[in-house]
Amino acid sequence: MPLQFGHILKTTLKTLTQVNRGKATGILDFELKELENIFTLLILGGFAGLPSPPSPIAIELLPYMEKELIVLIARADLAQDPLGVLMGMLEID
Amino acid sequence: MRDSVFFLGKGGVGKTTLSSALALALARHGKRVLVASLDPAHNLGDSLKVKLDGEPKNVEKNLDALEVNLAWWVDKYLEESREQLKLNYSYNMTLNLDSFFGILKYSPGTEEYAVLWAIEDIHSRLAPSYDFVVFDTPPTALSLRFLSMPTISGLWVAELTKLRERILKDRQTIVRLDPDSPVAKGTVDKSDDKVYGKLGSIRTRLAALEVLFSKHSFMNIVVNPDQLSMYEALRIKDELERLGIPLSALCLNKHGVSEAAYELPAELHHLPKFTYSFSRDGIFTRDDLVSIGIEPLMNHILSERKTTR
Repeated sequence: MPLQFGHILKTTLKTLTQVNRGKATGILDFELKELENIFTLLILGGFAGLPSPPSPIAIELLPYMEKELIVLIARADLAQDPLGVLMGMLEID
Repeated sequence: MRDSVFFLGKGGVGKTTLSSALALALARHGKRVLVASLDPAHNLGDSLKVKLDGEPKNVEKNLDALEVNLAWWVDKYLEESREQLKLNYSYNMTLNLDSFFGILKYSPGTEEYAVLWAIEDIHSRLAPSYDFVVFDTPPTALSLRFLSMPTISGLWVAELTKLRERILKDRQTIVRLDPDSPVAKGTVDKSDDKVYGKLGSIRTRLAALEVLFSKHSFMNIVVNPDQLSMYEALRIKDELERLGIPLSALCLNKHGVSEAAYELPAELHHLPKFTYSFSRDGIFTRDDLVSIGIEPLMNHILSERKTTR
């Protein structure tokens, strides 16, 4: 019985720590995704009419940017409601 | 050491003739010379009376020549990127991007980059076997674009590198605060980040080309006795000054071809001037090329090279 209680306590503490860590990194994570999005837009923006480096540089970097492309596509989905995303992250109702 | 020679100027002024003549003169002077045409509309082979391709072909003792195949360089480059992309990306993503590569060869800047890749290859792979590499360039517009490309792209790459550093720093902070974050599965260190590494290698290559153009090359402008080619020479001078590429000489070609008045712009007076008279009998053989009187320019280049060694 004490063993089970200890286990529950340990799991609860671990979960609470994880929740707090998640909250602590939430804003930074949002900033990181924005930076990754901007980085990808800067490199590949030329194909959509944005100022960007000469396309051969984009072609050289493209093979290593799969993750960034996935972020770009996900960001594009959220583009309809960026304020909503921000408010949600800050837990403002 | 300055071992590359470029001839720049308006289309039809005689860049190929002077490139071939200088290469021949240097070779007959005992120097090992490679003359390379960067012009998509090649006529270096016609000038030297030899059929040329993308690899050096011996023309005569001490002299090799080649005509860069820009389309081949573009295809090679795109193919390498496509293969790398297939290797790194998941199947679904590749399927969507693969069709995209077909049109990339027509995107702006690709031709200029192909010229840069060719120059880089000649400089690193072939140049060590020669004393001089003489480049016959395309007309002004394309030449100025490829000469400015290392500087312009260098600025972009520097800014992208800064942004990448910030991304990696944020990732490191997140992983430090929360080691179980999904960010930890990706790359967080500069040494592991392939994008950062690639930006570094692009920057190194562009910097090497910038140094080649600004410090290891003789840039000669070719003009004809007409006002239009003079105006174009001025534009070349201004653009090269902006890029920090010094000019070496001014070659007035086809002197006496017409009686029309022209004026050498004052801004070009400070450059060493070499004049080549219009040959009414035509230039048919390699000996004809050497006989246009290229020796003064050759001596100028040889003496300048000695002083900057």
